[in-house]
Amino acid sequence: MKILAKDKVAELLEKIAQQAEVYVPMAIEQGSGFYPWTEDNKNQPLLLDALNVYNSPKYILFPQTERMYDLKQQGQDLSIDQTHEDSSPRVIFGVRACDARALRSLDDVFLTRGFEDSFYKARRDNVTVIGNACYAPGANCFCEAMGVDLTEPEADVILRDAGNDGYIWESKTETGDKLTRAVAEFLNDKETKAPEAKSFQTQVDYDGVAEKLKGMFEHPLWEKMAEPCVNCGACTYICPSCHCFDIQVKMWGDSGYRFRCWDSCMYAEYSAEAGGGNPRPSGVERFRNRFLHKLEFFSERYGYSLCTGCGRCTIVCPAGVRITDIIKAIKEVDSSVGL
Amino acid sequence: MKAISDKIKSIAAGLFDSGKIDVFIGWEGGPCDYAIRPYIARSKADLERMAFNEYAIHNSSNYLLKLRDGHEKIGIVVKGCDSRGVVRLLEDNQIKRERLYIIGVCCPGMKDPLLAIKAQSGLLPQRDCDNLADKCLNCLVPNPVIFDELIGEQQPPHMQGERFAKVAAIENMSVAERFQFFEKEFSKCIRCYACRQACIACDCRTCIYDEMRPQWVGRENSNSDNMMYHLVKALHMAGRCIECGECERVCPVGIPLMLINNKLAKDADRFFGPYEAGLSYVEGQKPALSVYRENDPDDFI
Ligand code: SF4
Ligand code: SF4
Ligand code: SF4
Ligand code: SF4
Ligand code: SF4
Repeated sequence: MKILAKDKVAELLEKIAQQAEVYVPMAIEQGSGFYPWTEDNKNQPLLLDALNVYNSPKYILFPQTERMYDLKQQGQDLSIDQTHEDSSPRVIFGVRACDARALRSLDDVFLTRGFEDSFYKARRDNVTVIGNACYAPGANCFCEAMGVDLTEPEADVILRDAGNDGYIWESKTETGDKLTRAVAEFLNDKETKAPEAKSFQTQVDYDGVAEKLKGMFEHPLWEKMAEPCVNCGACTYICPSCHCFDIQVKMWGDSGYRFRCWDSCMYAEYSAEAGGGNPRPSGVERFRNRFLHKLEFFSERYGYSLCTGCGRCTIVCPAGVRITDIIKAIKEVDSSVGL
Repeated sequence: MKAISDKIKSIAAGLFDSGKIDVFIGWEGGPCDYAIRPYIARSKADLERMAFNEYAIHNSSNYLLKLRDGHEKIGIVVKGCDSRGVVRLLEDNQIKRERLYIIGVCCPGMKDPLLAIKAQSGLLPQRDCDNLADKCLNCLVPNPVIFDELIGEQQPPHMQGERFAKVAAIENMSVAERFQFFEKEFSKCIRCYACRQACIACDCRTCIYDEMRPQWVGRENSNSDNMMYHLVKALHMAGRCIECGECERVCPVGIPLMLINNKLAKDADRFFGPYEAGLSYVEGQKPALSVYRENDPDDFI
């Protein structure tokens, strides 16, 4: 098998960086995320061996603000000057299984069911994902319960941390093979073993929850569960699979541009209607939407849950909302109560 | 803390029994100490779930906003900072004093549950979570300023050292340095608005950032829109911020928002004072910048 020695990682990143933008998990000041491997960033601590980073790689394929096209207005007519599809080659290095699953859900949303989002596609077609298998899930992780195999990130190459022997390098796709050939000089042949995966500290049972939720739109449970929530939206922005956006415009006189930016179903503005109404008048309806989308709607449409079990929303929630508690509560409650 | 927790529950039980309250705002215990979270009990039976411990840091007064349109009589537990939030809501006519039964807790200082959950999450980086939370280390008013009943011994201010030392350091920068400093900080902002939602002084029904026609503040994640967001929020906070520190605590990217709020408190006091937001409640009282006077001394307009 192919092995990447740990002391070769920096050189390998250097080599890939000659051909593509490379994003790696690192800490910058109090935060962490997938940041570009640039001269400025190289001295920051690399977090390949940490369980995960706070900001997921979502923004690389789906930037928080993405300029779409420039436009000019002449009288009643609008003309589009330039579109900004970005197809530069990129490599995302060290993605955990939960986050790799989240990328798959973005693919399903932006590329399937009869519509291809050209901005997403331009980025996606030129991204190589290098996964990083997990063997020791953290206190808030529950990806397994959501149908994710922690040791098999859905990626082009999988790294497996074999301790002092280095990372086992396993190519999974043609794109992965291509990258493997390009970095062959840093990989050795050697036999070693990946560790056994430890068991999960957080146990939750999602089986049947999506189906059960079908009849629970009006259930009194939502009000109770939404009570601590202050609708801040932090959970949606930190979530690797939340993908709602708004399209807005900036104009100066008769020229300007359109851009899209992340949006959150936790905001009142998100569901505000042009006529002044709002079908989600209070925080409870917004809260309900988030969790129904995560646990029911998406799974009805695509066959798996939109929550990947990464645990981030629980970690950042200022009000102590825990998605695993919500799953448990739904599982246990009598779904006919109050209907 | 156990004693305080028991006391709160027994007072609340009495209030439910005597019909003095219909709901009770406090905290719900979780699977571990730091998993405590705000809770609204609707009956005496719900009190079973309630708890109070050294992680009960959330500003409980924020939860009054969820009940502002109702008529329920509300029991609420407040620490020093939370009590100032209650004063702000009273001043802004968001809730009536008659609806409230306030149980004050003289606050020994809290730990930050967000730092605690991060510390055991496996995600990096982490910060030391054993100390008092930053907001508590800067607290001057740990004892409730408004209450119907008080629990615990009066506490001395937890703040050590010079109150505006950090603000002075920023004031001493050149304009260019200062701009650079804030530009760098605000460039990290992901515009999640957690700082707004956690804020008790942000009690407007329609927030300016949610206005679409016209849209006052752009939604791009860019230096100019981010700067605009923070400038507008700062000006709206002047004379209203009670320095509870929740905004800075909940910010997922660690922006030092209290620097701005402390500066505003300092200036509101200096230019419009003597004034300190939410320190006591007098019926009809308004915050420093909420009064219109024809003979306003400002001649710059
Ligand atoms: S992070 Fe917590 S409080 Fe904020 S919107 Fe999400 S669930 Fe609600
Ligand atoms: S909902 Fe929470 S646990 Fe699930 S993927 Fe999003 S951030 Fe992770
Ligand atoms: S800020 Fe003051 S009153 Fe509020 S929790 Fe901290 S020490 Fe207690
Ligand atoms: S601005 Fe921050 S410190 Fe001031 S009242 Fe709001 S949340 Fe508290
Ligand atoms: S909480 Fe922090 S990141 Fe979110 S909008 Fe406020 S300053 Fe920006």
